[in-house]
Amino acid sequence: MATTITIDPVTRIEGHLEIEVTVDDVGGEQQVVDAKSAGTMFRGFEMILIGRDPRDAAQYTQRICGVCPVSHAMASCMNLDNAFGVTPPDNGRILRNLVLGANYIQSHLLHFYHLSAVDFIDTTGLLDMSPWTPRYVTTDMATGTVAEDLVNHYLTALAMRRKAHQMGAIFGGKLPCTGSFVVGGITENVTAENVADFRTLLTELRAFIDDVYIPDVTAVAGLFPSYYSLGVGYGNLLSFGVFDQDAGGTTKLFDAGRYTDGSPGSLDPAEITEYVTHAWYTPACDDKNPADGVTEPDATKPGAYSWLKAPRYLDKPHELGPLARMWINGDYTNGISVLDRIMARALEAKKIADEMDTWLDDLVPGDPVYQASSIPQTATGMGLTEAPRGALGHWMSIDNSVISRYQVITPTNWNASPKDHLNQVGPIESAMVGTPVPDAAQPVEVLRVVHSFDPCLACAVHLVRPNDRREGTRILIPPGIA
Amino acid sequence: MRISRREFLKAAAAMAAAGRLSAESFANLNNVLRGEGHPRVIWLQGAGCDGCAISILNSIHYTTVDDLLVNTIDLEFQSNLQAVAGDLAISAAEAASAVPGYVLIVEGSIPTGASGAYCRLWPGMTMYDALLSFATNASIIVALGACASFGGVSSGTPNPTEAKGVGEILVGDSRLMNIPGCPAHPDWLIGSLVYILTNGVLPPLDADRRPLQYFGKQIHPNCHNRREYCGEGVFADQLSDEGCMELLGCKGKKTYSDCFMRKWNSGGAGEYGVNWCIGAKSPCLGCVQPTFPDGMSPFYVYAPTPITDGENTENRVEQSKGRAADRRGE
Repeated sequence: MATTITIDPVTRIEGHLEIEVTVDDVGGEQQVVDAKSAGTMFRGFEMILIGRDPRDAAQYTQRICGVCPVSHAMASCMNLDNAFGVTPPDNGRILRNLVLGANYIQSHLLHFYHLSAVDFIDTTGLLDMSPWTPRYVTTDMATGTVAEDLVNHYLTALAMRRKAHQMGAIFGGKLPCTGSFVVGGITENVTAENVADFRTLLTELRAFIDDVYIPDVTAVAGLFPSYYSLGVGYGNLLSFGVFDQDAGGTTKLFDAGRYTDGSPGSLDPAEITEYVTHAWYTPACDDKNPADGVTEPDATKPGAYSWLKAPRYLDKPHELGPLARMWINGDYTNGISVLDRIMARALEAKKIADEMDTWLDDLVPGDPVYQASSIPQTATGMGLTEAPRGALGHWMSIDNSVISRYQVITPTNWNASPKDHLNQVGPIESAMVGTPVPDAAQPVEVLRVVHSFDPCLACAVHLVRPNDRREGTRILIPPGIA
Repeated sequence: MRISRREFLKAAAAMAAAGRLSAESFANLNNVLRGEGHPRVIWLQGAGCDGCAISILNSIHYTTVDDLLVNTIDLEFQSNLQAVAGDLAISAAEAASAVPGYVLIVEGSIPTGASGAYCRLWPGMTMYDALLSFATNASIIVALGACASFGGVSSGTPNPTEAKGVGEILVGDSRLMNIPGCPAHPDWLIGSLVYILTNGVLPPLDADRRPLQYFGKQIHPNCHNRREYCGEGVFADQLSDEGCMELLGCKGKKTYSDCFMRKWNSGGAGEYGVNWCIGAKSPCLGCVQPTFPDGMSPFYVYAPTPITDGENTENRVEQSKGRAADRRGE
């Protein structure tokens, strides 16, 4: 008989998320046969931005997310650069990359050690105080040396992610939420001294990634081989690309691209459409490219079950994140699963940290970091980049020199999206189906799948959730939908 | 300096012996630290970005966050770190709040529109209801960050969710301390908690219920740019230039915090930070003030308006002191 398990709140994520899974017998095993995800917070940033000085967008939008504020600063500044018609000097472009890279490192370390690792280890006798008690203890959890190492490194990684922020603040002013990202570049200047300070911290972080982070991820992977075939989902991947390597951004450390139905493809932002068939929005919001996006809630809409819009590329759901970036760029093509996401994230941290060392060499002390510009009377802009957890896009319109429209699509909008006009479920929902749940009281297997996406719900700005519990007919999805 | 529970008590005993801590406060402290074990903390996250939690993870000046969690406090509920989810997480939070005498930390604003539905912590529990419920048995309530203190960016015009700060809901609550900032600086929280744990009472607060130790001084008269440039009439022509940034929109004249001295993202115990907004040649946004963000933006536009923000006795005294110090050339 099917059982419904509600996990609300989902902890060890950023923001407020509810997961509901239906578990039933499949071939003698209790498995997830249907899954839904919903956010439970809405702030209305896009409404708050209307009428404001366009330059302020980079500060306001950083407050969407405290884990990836630098990514919002980057997307917003690129959006503004585009609308204002200004190109940051090379130093400015490189400094933006360095601060963003520093935040990627802190975010990836935070994800593995502090948000995700506890799903895989039994901390009994190692962390016997709150917030690590109460805890889940399942028979497959790692004990012994692996658990001890991960707990010790949990604490070391707290210091390492702090140092990553310290490093980013050298050019960012402070973190989280950098003051120095502005249209036209960055405000902090390059000196031989601040470059040396940055490199000292970077060297320590690179050693931690090489000597601790990657070996720890490898150790966990070795103990949980079945998670290379769990949490698979659609297998469609998408990236906007990130870390411009030249002034026009024609080359990037991670190029934009897609992997759809088993084949690579190019990326054209005009092919992104947001659907609201199963979301609490009026028909006016449906079938829109974000450049023309509309946000009008309708809490009583029949057939809707989520307040997240459903972004699709050529009508297909795509998964975003480190695995998508690494796959599309040929750095990691082992597979698409829980462990592949975790492994790709660790290897990406190394790729970025190593590249950051070469960016430091490209900085020229004393050269400009900022190009002045003025607010256009009327303009449109687009800023496409990547947050640690996937593709991030900002779109804006300026009229009478103030913001008249601002739309943000975050990675969690894609990953945690609901069903679309074709009844296709979102990537996380799809990935949960087929996950074994031997103990409904400890659904740690479901958490492993959800956490592998590193969801960031505060980022999913379209989200809202009514008071009442969602009820209604469930559509059973056969296992192995991917 | 690492502060363990033992060291808290040692320091407090020394303060009591020196007559700086009353016998009553010391007994109170002993109860807090020895009664049930470690001081208990419940941390709720409303409508915000979790950036203040991330910022607190950067703590090192007073102590590191791992030392705080492992040796000093019992963080009985904190969603970003909680090992369990769902029902078990809810029961952990509810069990903790059933026993009086904890520090309640609130991060994020409290939406009051649509009956609080814009932010729900778990089934049937809006952030608004959670604040009222968890405040009941709290000894101390800390509003952490701009959103929890005064509404912050979440309450920016047109404030679509009618988001409010804790003090607008728990009006006149003497247990409340605001630690604003977008995000809050880790030292502002940890230093104030150290004060509470060693003295058994809230630190001296200004009219906006901010600790005077951290929010008592106006930025502008204490800014290195004030000393080096402004007095000489050297104003930055554009962002990234050296010089006073008042004409580029810097809100240092409207803002009271010790960022100018403490700075951000410290690298070691007892050390101040590596940089700050003005240090990075970007204007102060006034993020610790009650009128942030609407009263502080546009951020990059000169705002020669009279200081209407933070009008209170303590601030006026500090302004006056600042002006006197300026006249003396300090």
